[in-house]
Amino acid sequence: MENKILTVCPYCGSGCQLYLLVENGQVVGAEPADGRTNEGNLCLKGHYGWDFLNDPQLLTSRLRKPMIRKEGVLQEVSWEEAIGFTAEKLTAIKEKYGPDAIMGTGSARGPGNEANYVMQKFMRAAIGTNNIDHCARVCHGPSVAGLTYSLGDGAMSNSIPEIEDTDLLLIFGYNAAVTHPIVARRIVKAKQKGATLIVADPRKTESARIADTWLPLKGGTNMALVNAFGHVLVTEELYDKDYVSNFVQGFDEYKANVEKYTPEYAESITGVRAADIRKVMRQYAKSDKAMILYGMGVCQFAQAVDVVKGLASLALLTGHFGRESVGIGPVRGQNNVQGSCDMGALPNVFPGYQSVEDAKIRKKFEKAWGTTLPDKTGYRLTEVPHLILKENKIKAYYIFGEDPVQSDPNAAELREALDQLELVIVQDIFMNKTALHADVILPATSWGEHDGVYSSADRGFQRIRKAIDPPGKVKPDWQIISEVSTAMGYPMAYKNSEEIWDEMRKLCPSFAGASYSKMEALGGVQWPCPSEDHPGTPYLYEGNRFTTPSGKGQLFACEWRAPLEQPDADYPLTLSTVREVGHYSVRTMTGNCRALSQLSDEPGNIQISLEDAAEHGIADGQLVQVYSRRGQIMARAQVSGRIKKGATYMTYHFWIGACNELTVDYLDPVSKTPEFKYCAIRLEAISDQAQAEASIRKQYAELRKQMLVGAVPE
Amino acid sequence: MNHASSNSLVIAEAAKCIGCKACELACFAVHNRDNGVGTAVGTVTMPVLPRLYVIRTDSFTMPVQCRQCENAPCAGACPVQAIRQQDGVIAIDAEACIGCKACALACPFGAISLYKAYSGGAELPQPLLQERRDSKLQRKTRITAYKCDLCRNTEIPGGSAAGGDAGGRGASAAAAQDRNPYPACVAVCPEKALQLVEVGTGSSRSLNREGVIF
Repeated sequence: MENKILTVCPYCGSGCQLYLLVENGQVVGAEPADGRTNEGNLCLKGHYGWDFLNDPQLLTSRLRKPMIRKEGVLQEVSWEEAIGFTAEKLTAIKEKYGPDAIMGTGSARGPGNEANYVMQKFMRAAIGTNNIDHCARVCHGPSVAGLTYSLGDGAMSNSIPEIEDTDLLLIFGYNAAVTHPIVARRIVKAKQKGATLIVADPRKTESARIADTWLPLKGGTNMALVNAFGHVLVTEELYDKDYVSNFVQGFDEYKANVEKYTPEYAESITGVRAADIRKVMRQYAKSDKAMILYGMGVCQFAQAVDVVKGLASLALLTGHFGRESVGIGPVRGQNNVQGSCDMGALPNVFPGYQSVEDAKIRKKFEKAWGTTLPDKTGYRLTEVPHLILKENKIKAYYIFGEDPVQSDPNAAELREALDQLELVIVQDIFMNKTALHADVILPATSWGEHDGVYSSADRGFQRIRKAIDPPGKVKPDWQIISEVSTAMGYPMAYKNSEEIWDEMRKLCPSFAGASYSKMEALGGVQWPCPSEDHPGTPYLYEGNRFTTPSGKGQLFACEWRAPLEQPDADYPLTLSTVREVGHYSVRTMTGNCRALSQLSDEPGNIQISLEDAAEHGIADGQLVQVYSRRGQIMARAQVSGRIKKGATYMTYHFWIGACNELTVDYLDPVSKTPEFKYCAIRLEAISDQAQAEASIRKQYAELRKQMLVGAVPE
Repeated sequence: MNHASSNSLVIAEAAKCIGCKACELACFAVHNRDNGVGTAVGTVTMPVLPRLYVIRTDSFTMPVQCRQCENAPCAGACPVQAIRQQDGVIAIDAEACIGCKACALACPFGAISLYKAYSGGAELPQPLLQERRDSKLQRKTRITAYKCDLCRNTEIPGGSAAGGDAGGRGASAAAAQDRNPYPACVAVCPEKALQLVEVGTGSSRSLNREGVIF
């Protein structure tokens, strides 16, 4: 008997709906469903990315029972013992060092919104700290900060389906073909429908390949280009004067700031032709409907928030807001990174983006949660290693559904920091690199094994549903956190995820109307949705009313700053981290899907220009050594004419070719997002390829052996 | 020329392809049911062996596959007549193939590959030759030529997917019905970059600027 369960894909933020086909309690396939964003299409991850539920133990193994480290070794224990141990340790640390010595994470992946709500409630109400953050910090943190400043809401102002009906698309540092194939479909359709396509990217991505104008800027020069865009709009009087005087503030400072960024000056920094800068801005300003999409190529720089504000300013100057198919879209990478931000898994806001520093809001939450709540912003995820190693401020770290050792910069420093902590709690579905440093492991249910809600990149709440029973003795995330909280003396008990959702809705005005039954009826609800009778909001800022304190859009420009680690004689090339279409993030899921791992496996690729490859004597497909000031790894060379001389790009999903051994932990001053897209490296050809291949196989085997802790013997 | 007997073919539009390789996986899946792959690609233990190849050069990206040439040079090059015109496609008889590579060399599109043969998910040894592997003599695995067969002789997945309770525009039900007669790569492509072209169905066809056939 085959069952079909409607749910949402667990990979990227596109929010594609799919059916899981279940036979005898096992998932045997996936079929596209008619979701708002995907309309009966899936990419290869949606089609083939569910296999990890069958736990084939390719890369790592499923966690099935709680574990505690005893005498240096992780040993299986009962739930009772694991919860008791965790609560006791946390309580002792809280009493000895204060609540701010404990850090927690949210999870932007499988657990869903309810688990994130419970986690931030636990950190704030039970522990008594705002030290909660999650991987949005290392991706779209700058979007949340920048767009909140400029427009009021740190999310896409538009919807994914609107992309195909715009007249002009400006794509900035965003490679949709690899990161969101189902959003790329809308870009392709927009082009087919006659839209002008402009792509600013140092690499010739698939979007750049079909673009009308490709602006191949040098890595790390975003702000100079965006300022030059603004300069053209202002000096050629292409901006919408009425719109600016009615709905926008800060024009005079903006004008002064972009004054020196003539296209010719920008050309000297970015390498983009001045004539192209003028041409694309004339097109952008004159298009009735124009839309900006951007991604990690904007956010993963130490100057990221500024660029986000600068891009938003272009749309403000030209009045591209408050209608369909206009606006600005930070296309969120992870399936629920929008959701974990929505739910307040951030150090400065409660659920619904309500500030922890606002006494009135705090009072509302204190009343609902029956306790006093901390009033100062907590630590940010990327500051954690420094706070542990240099300032000795954090003693315990509750890591929930993340793998920072694989995904965060400067892996060596992070490992050292984890080992210095008194308590590391890892709550996950798979053994991973971070779990190797854990004192307690709490095994949770995976996507496909629990109910909940995900938020798609375009603010769309959609239901995920349980398709199969979980293995072993695992429990849903929200239940585990509730039990720890109860053991610590702050009781939490929920019957199901809907009960959690309803509690959250009562506290968040902009989510209040998005009930489970409404999601069921409409297939999904886009926030803001303030009341039961509200249908949801496909695009924001209707009537050009922005949600900033003044109700007006804020213009912003500032000086361009070069990335911090520049290439030199010792490390002559630049490295940027990128993604690969068939894999996802830290690969604990896709790496355990047999088809996807067959299509592309360790050690991952480093893309090199034809010129640099020739100079180093490196052939396509060969293994090479890559060095930075922080570490060294091996990777497979992918020699391509799409890459500019002097620049290299590495896929960050891989475990042996883990490029975060190399990356630098310089942070954006506002959002504290690391500069993944720029550091200096050196390449070396390897003469004995056979030995290198053997060494990769050996490393991989050793790594897998480490990951089979507590695995069911094959 | 009698159009009615022309072979159909699958072609791709570079203007739509994003290089995601969903077509390669779908192709591999439907052709390896008896190797435990099936729609599920669930318990696959073999490498992904597609019959079309996503090619990325500096200036274009698109899958390339067999054109089902009417005067197939591969068939002319085959010394054992393993390649024949059969039910509207140029078909390779894997049983008869000797792995001589002549067809792959003769193909002007690079659309034929030689892969290891699998049966029941395991490599299929051939009776004659042996080779030294892991320091002992073992029978060498059979290697044969593979290319696109328009999914003839395969059961297309998703044929049973019609209906469902998606509601809305019914696109998935329509897509499922669409999927039925089509080759797997065409059905799976999220960008609709691939299509099955049936030559000589009586309607005159012309190309627009993007290379889309009307």
